[in-house]
Amino acid sequence: MSNIPTSHVARPGRTPLTQTTWRYVGGLGLVVAGAAAALAAGPELAGANLAMVFLLCVLVSAVTFGLGPALASALLAALTYNFFFLEPHYTFRITHPADLVTFLVFFAVALATGWLAGRARDNARRVAGHANATALLLEASRALARTSAPDEAAQVLADQIAAATGGRAIVLLNGDDGLRLAGAPPGLSALDAASLEAAHRTWADTGTAEVADPARAWSFAPLDGVQARVGVVGLRTTAPGDGSDRPDLIGALLEQGGVVIERALLAAAASENAALRRADQLRTGLLTAISHDFRTPLAAILGSATTLSDYGDDLKPGVRRDLLQSIQQDAQQLNKHIGALLDMSQLEGGALRPKQDWTEVREIIGSALRRLRSRLAGHRIARDFASSLSLIKADPTLLEQALLNILDNAATWAPQGSAIRIAAHEDARNVLVSIEDEGPGIPPDQLHAVFDRFHRLSPAGSGGLGLGLSITRGFIEAMGGRVAAVSPLTAAGGTRFVISLPKVVETPRGLL
Amino acid sequence: MSFRPRILVIDDEAQIHRFLTPALTASGYDPVQAHTAAEGLRALALNPPDAVFLDLGLPDMDGQEALEKARAFYAGPIIILSARGREAGKIAALDGGADDYVEKPFGVGELLARLRVLLRRKSTSGDPVPVVTAGELEVDLRLAMVRRKGERVRLTPKEFKLLAVLVEGGEKVITHRQLLTAVWGPAHVHDTQYLRVAIGQLRQKLEADPAVPAHIVTEAGVGYRFLLDQGQTET
Repeated sequence: MSNIPTSHVARPGRTPLTQTTWRYVGGLGLVVAGAAAALAAGPELAGANLAMVFLLCVLVSAVTFGLGPALASALLAALTYNFFFLEPHYTFRITHPADLVTFLVFFAVALATGWLAGRARDNARRVAGHANATALLLEASRALARTSAPDEAAQVLADQIAAATGGRAIVLLNGDDGLRLAGAPPGLSALDAASLEAAHRTWADTGTAEVADPARAWSFAPLDGVQARVGVVGLRTTAPGDGSDRPDLIGALLEQGGVVIERALLAAAASENAALRRADQLRTGLLTAISHDFRTPLAAILGSATTLSDYGDDLKPGVRRDLLQSIQQDAQQLNKHIGALLDMSQLEGGALRPKQDWTEVREIIGSALRRLRSRLAGHRIARDFASSLSLIKADPTLLEQALLNILDNAATWAPQGSAIRIAAHEDARNVLVSIEDEGPGIPPDQLHAVFDRFHRLSPAGSGGLGLGLSITRGFIEAMGGRVAAVSPLTAAGGTRFVISLPKVVETPRGLL
Repeated sequence: MSFRPRILVIDDEAQIHRFLTPALTASGYDPVQAHTAAEGLRALALNPPDAVFLDLGLPDMDGQEALEKARAFYAGPIIILSARGREAGKIAALDGGADDYVEKPFGVGELLARLRVLLRRKSTSGDPVPVVTAGELEVDLRLAMVRRKGERVRLTPKEFKLLAVLVEGGEKVITHRQLLTAVWGPAHVHDTQYLRVAIGQLRQKLEADPAVPAHIVTEAGVGYRFLLDQGQTET
């Protein structure tokens, strides 16, 4: 993380100097307090006991304030001990050689105590600081990992940096027209012009914004991903805090955040591309459909109608009837196409809101068969319905259309006089409808694609848009169900479509 | 000279009038054209027709509003002309007092079949037929008795009430809401499951093949229709 330039990010908290001063004052103050207590206690407290009091002061100052204050305390304790309690009193001179030994031994012990305890304290603090930083980083990386959108990641990063520094942090990402605020503390929705200008300088590497007063202005650092710069982070410190190893921590956060945001940006761009590609595919398919599949019946209608109006009187009644019938059939074909396009646009536009209601599946099969009666007149319909079937929650209109599309397909492909078998059953979780025809079946290499839009088994001529089955799948899945195709069923062919719709299962209360 | 029922067609599309006017005339009706809701409502008030076709997509007034205004002073049959995929509007119109609907685009045969049903019902209203015969079924509304092939069929009171509402509809579609309100009461308008179960039981008891009902026909997502004779409302 050393390559992350963070030097111009303001260090949060009090400056180290004042903090150190206070620690020394505290350490020395302890010794002064100890001396005062010893003087107050009077001559009863002497010799070894007295030394113990001073050592205690040194020890406490070491544990509380660290190595430096501890050594200072030891020195002050030795001098005080000499000044007040070694003969002659109130001088730094030592007359008795024994006292000199006592003084030296005391000084050595005080130094050793202070040094050992102070070092232990400083190490413990450092370890705790590292652990704290590690925990913050870990939490940040977890929070970042949960995000998927760039702005979401930016917000998390801003929150995490703010939490790590005790200040406020903003994240600006590169938008269509320059940097825009993507992550900010609550209540901040826009940046002032000067800050934005500073952010842009940092973004363009044309000079870092030197900050006079970190409490009033944002200081900015670039936010880099693996491949490119993704944005700028701004920091503003408001509350004092422990700034000991925060620059490293902020650097690590910036590095992590930059990578995550870059990944999110790439993913967003990719999904946008996929959506565009899909829309483009649909448009191409629709244009093909309209130019060919709509033109054919229209040509027949126009031709028949003009023939009738120009030569009506010269035509035999049979021919006239035939032309009129052709107009009727082709108009119905066009109507079906328009219906399919409407259904498709509903599915594609995300406007489909299934009106789920209690539905009896056998009833809907019946009404679909009724609507297709004339089209299915040439086929034998065989039903195999369970005598009782659970009600399900489904949209009856969508279910009927889904069934109509499959039945219409069967009517197109299965030869006249063949059987179409419709079964409705249920298992523990689903109500299942299967529709089986005796048509030629679907080639194995095309089976997976039959539910795709504009997928047609024959190049043209069968009259379908290639939308019916994809609409069926769209509608069934919108209602929480599944649809699958099985083919061939026998050596002669045959296709089976199976629709499964979930039953409403209420969890027994005892299991919750 | 025979009596020609006057039919008011309220639709803003000239093409619809262009074929509907000759078709209605040829079928023995007296069609009246209206191209806006305002024009239609005026015609309705000045000279009440025997039946009305009302397009829900008029340019000058919302279809529901036009229906509401018409119903304020006109009690005769109103058939809605609605576009496919406008289920919600269709159901709202039926609940709001329309008698039936035809989806655009429609064939003239389908439209005339609906019209005939409503006009027939109108001519017999005021003197309700106590016994309705539909194929093998005989429904005695006064004695609350149903016979199938001459044999008495036992129905629960709810089942009979449901059947009676359907039969009294005289082949017009009755919405879920209307059926639930009439049979179970206004508190149960959303309890469609009651209706599904009761309809299933009625079919078991009354239909020759309950899987292919000939009389109690489902209009998916809208309601039910009681057909006197199978095949009358082929679409």
